[in-house]
Amino acid sequence: MNGMNRRQFFKVTAAMLSGSSMAALGLAPEAALAEVRQYKLARMTETRNTCPYCSVGCGILMYGLGDGAKNVKTTIVHIEGDADHPVNRGTLCPKGASLIDFIHSPNRLKQPQYRAPGSDKWQTISWDEALDRIAALMKADRDANFVEKTAEGKTVNRWLTTGMLAASASSNETAYLTHKIVRSLGMLAFDNQARV
Amino acid sequence: MQRILSRGEIEGLERNALPRLRLPSREVFAERAARLRHLAGGNSLGEYLALMARLAQAQHEALGAFTAPLPDENRLSLAHTHGMPPLPCEGPLEGCWREALRAVLAALSGQELGDAPRATVARLEQTLSAEPQRLDALAQALLAGEEPGDVAAAPFLMAALQVYWTERASRLPEAVVPAVVPSRVCPVCGSLPVASVVRVGAASDGLRYLHCGLCASEWHMVRVKCSHCEDTRSVAYHHLEGASEAIKAESCDACHSYRKIFYQEKDLEVDAVADDLASLTLDVLMGEAGYGRASANPLLWFA
Repeated sequence: MNGMNRRQFFKVTAAMLSGSSMAALGLAPEAALAEVRQYKLARMTETRNTCPYCSVGCGILMYGLGDGAKNVKTTIVHIEGDADHPVNRGTLCPKGASLIDFIHSPNRLKQPQYRAPGSDKWQTISWDEALDRIAALMKADRDANFVEKTAEGKTVNRWLTTGMLAASASSNETAYLTHKIVRSLGMLAFDNQARV
Repeated sequence: MQRILSRGEIEGLERNALPRLRLPSREVFAERAARLRHLAGGNSLGEYLALMARLAQAQHEALGAFTAPLPDENRLSLAHTHGMPPLPCEGPLEGCWREALRAVLAALSGQELGDAPRATVARLEQTLSAEPQRLDALAQALLAGEEPGDVAAAPFLMAALQVYWTERASRLPEAVVPAVVPSRVCPVCGSLPVASVVRVGAASDGLRYLHCGLCASEWHMVRVKCSHCEDTRSVAYHHLEGASEAIKAESCDACHSYRKIFYQEKDLEVDAVADDLASLTLDVLMGEAGYGRASANPLLWFA
């Protein structure tokens, strides 16, 4: 088959056009070459992803606009179902079909928010602060309520006072890691949120 | 555009069955001729497109007047067993392809042509009767992607080869075509694709097909994947700012090549060969941006 040969990877230039079938058949490519200067290239991307809503895990294609340069922010301009994806074959439910609004929503939460006990206001905190606080509270609760043995002396090592709700559109790997972390703490109440 | 499934259709949906192959219809050249005529108006390459429209019309007439034998059962099943194309573009060329050339040239003789194309057609007619073997050699060079030698004659010879291959491919039972996935060459004839078309309608909605430059068959390839090296990480889409978004160049930063991709959703009538030829401006700008064309257009050859 035509693996590699001289036809491959050529760039169409003015010089090439003047030696082409077009020129040899008496038709001048000048007008076309002059027209080139009126145009600029716009660059888009199409990116595969998984819809974040539910555990069905539909494939989506996200259309982004931007030339990939460092100081230019790529914006997502359109999202549709991925026709190649075996789960949804290009279809999406109404929630999935409106994902683009989810991305550009002015109400979209982009940083951790904290509401102090008794307060009626949310304050923005850093991820470090948020994670430190969650870890400290989890440890305090676990230290206070961890059950090592039952009244009959059976070893159970369980922690019933804290639960965890994990992501819905998890990959197998994410699900495995979540499971390992939660179960190793002795936590029993745990769900991979399959219904939003 | 989202496809809405009605009640009952969801249960009956055979979800994994995508149409992997679209064998050419007998109308492919008539449709291409109409498309080229449409594109010729208002295009800076209008004259060349109009000439190629006449050539495509001649191909359509030739296709109606010409039949070529399909390979026998043994050859077809041998090709299938080894996952090889049933109508290979390499290897010995049967003499009956020249009947297709004769029919194309005959159909052109009734057409309004310029001086240079008319002289080329006359030259080919003369060679066809005087030394047909010379044409076989030229044809084989075109099929192998080598130097075309005679760039004026190349589109006419290629047109005849397209008729010869499309005639057979259009009658091929789909079951004899091996399912080689993914395939960067045509599963029917083994030649390189011209461009991609993202189709609309029924089971092919939103799927990308590569269009064979020789036999006009189309085969499925997953979208957002380089059709030359199958890389998926650095694929991008370029179009002319302010021009039609139905025409994009799918580029790859792993192999620095591109092929055009046409979105039927944005322009229902797109034809891979015709629209590729009519969008030469995009080729020039892609070349300047550092990307090379992964394969040539069968109707435009370079010395």
